Amino acid sequence: MATSAYWRTRFQRYRLIGNRCKECGKVFFPPRFVCPACGSVKLEEYKLPERGKLVEYTVVYTAPKGYEVMTPYVIGIVELEDGVRVLAQITDVDVEDVKEGMEVEASIRRLPEQLEGGMICYTYKFRPVIK
Amino acid sequence: MREVAVVAVGYTRVSEHWDKSIKGLFIEASLKALSSAGLSLKDVDGIYVANAFAGYLQRQTNLASIIAEALGLTDTFAVSIDAGGASGGLAVHEAYRDVAHGIRDVVLVCGVEKMSEATSSDVLTAQASVEDQEYFRYTGATLHSLAALIYKTYMKRYGVKQEDVALMSILDHEHASTCQHAQYPFKITLDSIMKSPVLSDPVRVLEVVSPSDGAAAVVLCPHEKAKELGAPHVKIAASQLVRDSFNIVERGDVLAMEALVKAASRAYKEAGVTPSDIDFAEVYDDYSVMGVIAMEKLGFCREGEGVKVLKEGEAKLDGRIPINTFGGLKARGAPIGAVGVYQAVEAYLQLTGEAGANQVKDAEVGLTHGSCCFNSIAVVNIFRRCC
Repeated sequence: MATSAYWRTRFQRYRLIGNRCKECGKVFFPPRFVCPACGSVKLEEYKLPERGKLVEYTVVYTAPKGYEVMTPYVIGIVELEDGVRVLAQITDVDVEDVKEGMEVEASIRRLPEQLEGGMICYTYKFRPVIK
Repeated sequence: MREVAVVAVGYTRVSEHWDKSIKGLFIEASLKALSSAGLSLKDVDGIYVANAFAGYLQRQTNLASIIAEALGLTDTFAVSIDAGGASGGLAVHEAYRDVAHGIRDVVLVCGVEKMSEATSSDVLTAQASVEDQEYFRYTGATLHSLAALIYKTYMKRYGVKQEDVALMSILDHEHASTCQHAQYPFKITLDSIMKSPVLSDPVRVLEVVSPSDGAAAVVLCPHEKAKELGAPHVKIAASQLVRDSFNIVERGDVLAMEALVKAASRAYKEAGVTPSDIDFAEVYDDYSVMGVIAMEKLGFCREGEGVKVLKEGEAKLDGRIPINTFGGLKARGAPIGAVGVYQAVEAYLQLTGEAGANQVKDAEVGLTHGSCCFNSIAVVNIFRRCC
């Protein structure tokens, strides 16, 4: 990935920023240019909640380029507190201990990919909430 | 609107063609097709090239012009269609429109893909590249993992087991076992599927397509011209394309497959048929569960009853609704961009009575289904026997 492409998506990666349609209120993550529900181009930044629950998950054993070292790892659908669903890696938990319905929270984690000049990339992953 | 016929087909076996390039495969399939109808390259006034991964795997873009040049057709209309697993069906769709609306008379559609000369992780990355990279790439998700999420949701909702869904792969291999152009012409057992490695829980290796090479070509022309040529031909009765969100998580219900439902209902309307009129269907089963879901969304059974169709043998060649009559994606093989054209070839073979050991008796109407990213693009084409 180009450094600039990575930089452009920093807010969605670091802070879970999506957007919301000013006309109909629908929320999008990742952010969109046009609201597919009403066609409006008036969209405003929207910060997603950082907590939610794991709706469904799978354990990945065969990974794409760069992610091989992480296998087995968990990919899941997280439903955040406001009902928005995101696809994310689930971390800080043994694959055997992952449970559907588990409460999770966002954290910033290092990506296996590094950019030119040694720039280190980060993204959100979700981890179990420690009570 | 003119009636449109498929007047010729040509294809290579789906395999690992170490000795053949993309151009070589394309030309082999195309020349076979043209000569079977007594046509030559100079009769062609349009070419659609269906391909998904040459840009990534061969670093070759601009494929249509490269191929037209290789055919010596420097001033002939030629366009590439790049829509993942929907490429082939979409290329047929475009050619059909051209001929129906009188824009072109003899259109060559050829799907070609060459995946065998890439590493497994490159193939995975290429396959995942059909998703929106600005989101998908940094999640570490693969297409296998998305299929797994769909698979688990399906099993829970309908109370079925993996052993039920996996029957789709057994069906494909059974039909491929007598298919000359299949990549894997042999039967497999439930035991071997359940013992095959897990790619992304619960998806197992023997429920998933493998990288392959192949090219398939069809020639379309007005029905009147097909009659003059005197070659066996079939009519295209409908061709519909519908899209949906790429992001399955954003769709709300991962099992909805709205694009496929809409494409099917529009195609049935265009052809003036209902699901019960379909004599066989070639469905896009890049994963076993996707084949099961496709049978349901196409209206061959109720939601959640796809596995019942498999269990009761209704999808076999002599069953109520034969599915994947030459082995489908799993066993005929899946050179991704070419799949839709292979399906069109197979519909032609069935409807002209040239399907050999795989012949569906008295087949009159056949359906093909193409998909990219879990029906984020769904193409449904319907073919009809002539006379």
